[in-house]
Amino acid sequence: MKFASRILTLAFPCVLLGTLATPPLPAQDTSQPNQTQQDQSQQGQEKADKDKKKKKGGGFFGGLKAISGSSSEQQEATRTAGSKTVGEGAQIGDAQPTAADRQAVSAMESYSVAAPEIKKFQDDGKLKPKQ
Amino acid sequence: MKKQMLRAGWFWGVRILAVLALLGTARGARAQFGNILKKATEKAQTVQKAMAPMTVQEERDVGREVAAKAVAFFHLYKDDALTRYVNLVGHTVAAQSERQDITYHFAVLDSDNINAFSAPGGYVFITRAALALCEDESELAGVLAHEVGHIAGKHVLKIVERDKALRTGMGEAKAYTPGSAYVQKMSKGILVKIIDQGLAPGDEFDADQRGIKYAHAAGYPADGLARFLTKLDQATEQGGQSFWTRTHPPVADRNARVGQTISAQHWEDTDRPKLADRFAIETKALKEKKA
Repeated sequence: MKFASRILTLAFPCVLLGTLATPPLPAQDTSQPNQTQQDQSQQGQEKADKDKKKKKGGGFFGGLKAISGSSSEQQEATRTAGSKTVGEGAQIGDAQPTAADRQAVSAMESYSVAAPEIKKFQDDGKLKPKQ
Repeated sequence: MKKQMLRAGWFWGVRILAVLALLGTARGARAQFGNILKKATEKAQTVQKAMAPMTVQEERDVGREVAAKAVAFFHLYKDDALTRYVNLVGHTVAAQSERQDITYHFAVLDSDNINAFSAPGGYVFITRAALALCEDESELAGVLAHEVGHIAGKHVLKIVERDKALRTGMGEAKAYTPGSAYVQKMSKGILVKIIDQGLAPGDEFDADQRGIKYAHAAGYPADGLARFLTKLDQATEQGGQSFWTRTHPPVADRNARVGQTISAQHWEDTDRPKLADRFAIETKALKEKKA
């Protein structure tokens, strides 16, 4: 009896370790409440991150906020270049391209100059580019 | 005896139940552990994707949006012959760039501001006023080569990639598709950066160094950019508008570094063509229109 009891005592940790070491089971119902809990905590984390980001201004382009406000950079630009051109980049960035504008960009992309034409252009100008 | 057997039965029953309970708990714990592991793997994959360099296609998508906004704001200068000429000069210097995995596109913007800028993906713009300020083709080549240098040095692209990595936590970078709110925001950010805030001085110096190298390798005199910058400095002192003088390092510093490189590399060839005559012919209509 004592022998069996010892065997059993030794067997507990072995069984426990063996169970954990085997590959995970397919989707289990028991994991569902845990999943929901994780999702909730993840959502909470994302919200906290968002709030944090909002406070900081966010990313490397956080300067976007400063354009409409009165950052020191903008004040400096105003001093050096006059208010006329300040924030022009932001204005351009706010531009809403029309279908015609996008078509113009497509035309710019598809615009090509053939290699023989470039060669002739270089020869005419007596340019000797490195090959 | 019977009592002893009964007690042993109870004893074993309790033990078997304990084993079963332990097994159940272990399975639950393992399932939960697996779930956490799965989530962590997914998160790591997202971060890895965000930290990875942008593909050429992604770069082009952002650059296209920047280009569309620039075109919407300024409008292209409609002169087919001039556009062709700028493309010929542009492709001549761009062919010397280390970066040949993208196609370079050149266009003239209808603006009185003396500027040139580039966007990721190979888009290079020069304004009508900047073209009018050039006196010969080697100066135009110097300006375009400087912009090609920004693209080859991935100066804006690196900022975009860092921004993308930072924004991953917000899930914004997932919406990295053409026309998405994220790309819209990013393209505006690029324009604010290059036009209102300026790139890091180191990036400007690097673009200068690359630019003079490309121009020289293309067969032009290496000092075309320096000559243009000197004129730009004078023009803005006389009231000309340019974000180049506002956001770029001082012209004296830039030209000093350019001069050092030209001297060190023995690039002071005086017999190289500046092509002032050809430039005058090609820009005649533009200059007449301005006058």
